[in-house]
Amino acid sequence: MTNGSNALGLSPLGLSRRRLLQNSAAGFGSLALASLLARTGHTAPAGAGSGSGEFENGGLHHPARAKRVIFLFMKGGPSHMDTFDHKPQLQKDDGKPLPFEKPRVQFAPTSDLLASPWKFQRYGESGIAVSELFPEVARCVDDLCIINSLHGTNPAHGGAALKLHTGSDVFVRPSMGAWIQYGLGTENENLPGFITICPTLAHGGTKNWGSAFLPASCAGTPLGNASQPATNARIKYAENDFYPGQLQRMQLDLAQSLNQQFLQSTGPDTELEARIQSFELAFRMQTEMPEALDLAAETAHTHRLYGIDQETTADFGRQCLMARRFVERGVRFVQITHSNTEVQWDQHGNLRKGHEQNAAEVDRPIAGLLRDLKARGLLEDTLVLWGGEFGRTPTCQGSGRDGRDHNPEGFTMWMAGGGVRGGIQYGATDEYGYYATENKVHIHDLHATVLHLMGVDHTRLTYRHAGRDFRLTDVAGHVVREIFA
Amino acid sequence: MLRLAPRSLAQLARNDSAATGRAKRDRFGGRRWRVAVQWTLCAALLVGAEAVTVADDAEGVRFFETKIRPVLAEHCYGCHGAEDQESELRVDTLDGMLRGGYAGPAVMPGKPTGSLLLTAVTYQDSDLRMPPDEKLDAQQVADLRRWIEMGAPHPDSGDTPAPRPLGEIDLEQARQHWAFQRPVLPRIPALVSPGLKPIDAFVFSRLDDAEIPRPGPADRATLLRRATFDLTGLPPTPAEVTAFLADDSPQAWQRVVERLLASPAYGERWGRHWLDLARYADSNGLDENVVHAHAWRYRDYVVDALNRDKPYDQFLVEQIAGDLIGAAESSQTDSPAANRPPDDRPAYQRRNERLIATGFLVLGPKVLAEQDETKMEMDIIDEQVDTLGRSVLGLTLGCARCHTHKFDPITHRDYHALAGIFKSTRSMDSYKTVAEWHENVVESPQQTQRYEAHQQRIADVQKQLDQRIAAATEALPEEQREGKAEELEKRFSPEAREELKSLREQLKQLQDTVPERPMAMGLDEGTVEDLAIHLRGSHLTLGDVVPRGFPAVLTDPETPELPDDQSGRLQLAQWLTTGDHPLTARVMVNRLWRWHFGRGLVATVDNFGLQGEPPSHPQLLDWLAIQFVRSGWSIKSMHRMIMLSETYRASSRFDPVAASRDPDNRLLWRFPPQRLEAEAIRDAHLAVSGTLDRGIGGSLLTLKPREYVFNHTSEDRSTYDTKRRSIYVPVIRNHLYDLFQLFDYNDASVLDGDRESSTVAPQALFLMNSPWIRRVSTSLAARLEALPTPEQRIENLYLLAYGRRPAEAERQGAERFLKTFASAYAAKASAPPESDDSPASPEAAAWQALCHAVVASHEFVYLR
Repeated sequence: MTNGSNALGLSPLGLSRRRLLQNSAAGFGSLALASLLARTGHTAPAGAGSGSGEFENGGLHHPARAKRVIFLFMKGGPSHMDTFDHKPQLQKDDGKPLPFEKPRVQFAPTSDLLASPWKFQRYGESGIAVSELFPEVARCVDDLCIINSLHGTNPAHGGAALKLHTGSDVFVRPSMGAWIQYGLGTENENLPGFITICPTLAHGGTKNWGSAFLPASCAGTPLGNASQPATNARIKYAENDFYPGQLQRMQLDLAQSLNQQFLQSTGPDTELEARIQSFELAFRMQTEMPEALDLAAETAHTHRLYGIDQETTADFGRQCLMARRFVERGVRFVQITHSNTEVQWDQHGNLRKGHEQNAAEVDRPIAGLLRDLKARGLLEDTLVLWGGEFGRTPTCQGSGRDGRDHNPEGFTMWMAGGGVRGGIQYGATDEYGYYATENKVHIHDLHATVLHLMGVDHTRLTYRHAGRDFRLTDVAGHVVREIFA
Repeated sequence: MLRLAPRSLAQLARNDSAATGRAKRDRFGGRRWRVAVQWTLCAALLVGAEAVTVADDAEGVRFFETKIRPVLAEHCYGCHGAEDQESELRVDTLDGMLRGGYAGPAVMPGKPTGSLLLTAVTYQDSDLRMPPDEKLDAQQVADLRRWIEMGAPHPDSGDTPAPRPLGEIDLEQARQHWAFQRPVLPRIPALVSPGLKPIDAFVFSRLDDAEIPRPGPADRATLLRRATFDLTGLPPTPAEVTAFLADDSPQAWQRVVERLLASPAYGERWGRHWLDLARYADSNGLDENVVHAHAWRYRDYVVDALNRDKPYDQFLVEQIAGDLIGAAESSQTDSPAANRPPDDRPAYQRRNERLIATGFLVLGPKVLAEQDETKMEMDIIDEQVDTLGRSVLGLTLGCARCHTHKFDPITHRDYHALAGIFKSTRSMDSYKTVAEWHENVVESPQQTQRYEAHQQRIADVQKQLDQRIAAATEALPEEQREGKAEELEKRFSPEAREELKSLREQLKQLQDTVPERPMAMGLDEGTVEDLAIHLRGSHLTLGDVVPRGFPAVLTDPETPELPDDQSGRLQLAQWLTTGDHPLTARVMVNRLWRWHFGRGLVATVDNFGLQGEPPSHPQLLDWLAIQFVRSGWSIKSMHRMIMLSETYRASSRFDPVAASRDPDNRLLWRFPPQRLEAEAIRDAHLAVSGTLDRGIGGSLLTLKPREYVFNHTSEDRSTYDTKRRSIYVPVIRNHLYDLFQLFDYNDASVLDGDRESSTVAPQALFLMNSPWIRRVSTSLAARLEALPTPEQRIENLYLLAYGRRPAEAERQGAERFLKTFASAYAAKASAPPESDDSPASPEAAAWQALCHAVVASHEFVYLR
């Protein structure tokens, strides 16, 4: 950012940029920072080009491989050894003690190694082994880029969820979606640019989709929450039930004429003009949002594809289908959360039953989403990201030999579409799955990589706050180029 | 910087070790000298500073060449050598290792725990693990440790000057920054206009210099609405508007200011501003969102302090060290401020108040399920340092946690000196998941007596019970006295059993009715200790221990040292409030200015450091700061001074000439139009609709202490259904009340002295469709219905909502709308009512729609 000075010798940009975004971006998501600055005659971030259109696919610093993200968040911490990180040695050494040290900080004590109760089978041309918990997703394995070497730091849900969403488990920081909003803006001014469907309100809650010090317009818009079924996932106050038909327009016209009068008496004012615009946008959104959420407009085939016809899969299927409808309409970042209120992906005990139920609820919907995106040509520039806040220990927790503890030291997330190579596994954990060992990918690296895929250089997407420039990746983060297609 | 020949130090180390007889044989048969702690101590004593010292004996060098260099070359040089220096670190030279990289020195001779090289290779800190791909084997790690213990002997030892320690700064140069120099009473610009207030002289002289016309006065109705919202957060009532418009005495304005300052609503408004700095909340947020059931006492303390015009210095001392002020000292200030009634409350009340005040530093969000307890403690301390730094000093001290501040002259050492004060303070009672913050009992002597008496009764009954059981057991034949207690009792006489039953009932009844003790989040003294520098902010890599103290750039030889037997909080608070501190008064008057004008003279109100904005009116800022201290730190005096100025009373009219010269209005050529804050919007809605509950203080929480607002089920247990003023609405972190969240309420997790004012469509949706706006407009319409004629109703609507009478055209426009809307509504009348609170008639619907438009409009939510 070039720091210009005005006639008074005050450098205005720290504030102006913020005010600019607040006031010009009366829509739900802010416009792209670069295009906005260009449009208003400000200098774009160093090296950003003069507008978002300069790079292919609207990248901010380089061509974007992905234009949008769907993040499938598995709240609670799915076990990687039981899903996408096959560990034959663990099967052999069931019941033996872990032959190396456990981490210095653990969530709770665990005992000896616990073999996976599920069988693995090789799928697709890539021949990647996936457990029987995910038979449908397994059939899409050639589209998956499975990262087996994720690692974080925090072994508690709250800290780990915050770390995954915001890059910090200690401080209040903007979430990944908010940074993407800030950098790239929205493709559809009539819809929020960052939507989170049925998010969990615990363990960071709103902080996981918050904008922190970024402009409020960058924050995620929650639809419902994890305690409610997806059928209740609605944007708040988007439905007018006061004034039938044209009466609302009539009432709004009156309000807008009062606003115009005030504006005239005060003199030109971008904030007041933006406010008038915001009412018009809100009015249009009342039509656009219900339309986006109208799953009845989809065919029975599509409903089946997402498992909406089955009780077990209906709820998450709806979330997945909503996600597709939103990205189709230009929403930049959609997060959907699987957080069964009875049994989350958090099997300290009852691993068999709990993981089976959780997997059964999401397997078909996720596979349906991947297939549908692919069929519609959306997968190539939509990045799908799957994972929880951490993985689980290969060692056993509880007396029943049927539980695993939190494990941030090594776990698995996968990506699909959006310019990543399908049918590969990247990185690895040790022979049991406790620690990430090969080609380790820290949460910061994951963030750097997601931003990179979207055409954003994580070291250059910064925001000046409280005396310094902040980034999603703080002072860390390496782009994992090896997984790019 | 003094430099010692390494040889002499090595010699010294040898002598020292030999003297204590700790020479050992190492496994190579050579003599190895333990040169850890004593050596460093001696060195420090000798040079009086942190000289880096390196051993260079031939044996050591051979050890380096055979055991250390090969490892470094194979695993480290690739990224930290001559070619590449990732993170600015190179380890192929001694100088490189001593100087270190971004994270700090890689090697501290003789100090394995302070050497990041060792931290990295031991893989103990998951954020710093080197080599990244594979851990060195145990022998290699042990060799590195030994080498560092030996004093890091290296062939370059003799030639390598001790590098400048990381983060050393030139204090004299640093002190040149304007904000670190004490304010000097400036000369008030002499302007031709007679009778100008000093504030106006400062502001107008800048306008005159820039050839920008001075602003004219705002009209009286506008001014009254501005001032009423500004000081009380509420709209003026129609009666207040009418009275002020009719009062043409010269004192009319002054009387309004005094009336507003005397209103209890003043503290509710300005107390809320302070709560933004205190990141006040009724729940923890972050990971474990449990209830702060007693936080409200701190909130009420703040409101009361503002209403009493508690001197700001005293206000600060109480919040930082209220628990340490003796009962006799009610204030450290001999306040010259007038109009302040003596505090004649009983001593215990004042004592409790000071305990409550210390909640300030405990209110922060905490990761209560952090499994690493030491890390949790340091994170909490960091939050306290950061909050104190930004709120009181306007300095981002938190930036110096991991390394010396990148911009400001705050060293890593300064940070730990200050952090030591909080390390020596008790903020937490337990760090075990879920961790518990400290609370103090704040009760009256009567309550203490009642509580203790109750406990005594419990003890008495328990004793009776025990005695009765013993006696009854005694009464049993000897062979029946063995066995479980329940078994034994079955053998007691019916009378004895009956008696036990009754005693137990009594006991249960007493236990169930233990009087609840009033508690308040707050501080206590802890174990006094100095803190070691945490390299990279990590408790796993400790450097030198730093004596507790204040940032060097702000201290001088006169600054007192901290006592060994106290945390130093009281001294810290006193140092901040000496009156000639360069920052405390400046930062606060700037905040007051910000809350009046929407922007500070220093626009970055929370940052007066080098990255902050320079003041737009430096002389005015200094003048205000000095007046503030002279007034006895009276905040109300500052309000008077500001509000009686022409600058405050200026019109907000747009001026194209002025706007072209100063588009940001930094020189104040008009009063800046401002959107109301979330609380003021809500309170104003309640006030104009006649539904505001003006009750003062207390808690609206319905959850038990430390209960979860949100657990893993995401069930929403927060409730916001109240008509009390917004300041009393529970502040649930991570789940703020919708209206607050939408209208840029303080995040409640981080301090924010400069709230944003965003304009986004979800605000419009709320104002168009929420049940809230429907209730407000329906109540307002019903209130107007009581008036006989449409003219009166419309006039009253404008007076209530806009604080002015409608122009004739506006009245006609409203009447036209009412007619058109009512007939359109009637045409739709065949449709069934939407809900129970649907309007009774087309006319009622039209009035509701009109009221709705008015309370959602620009003029309602903006001040000008």
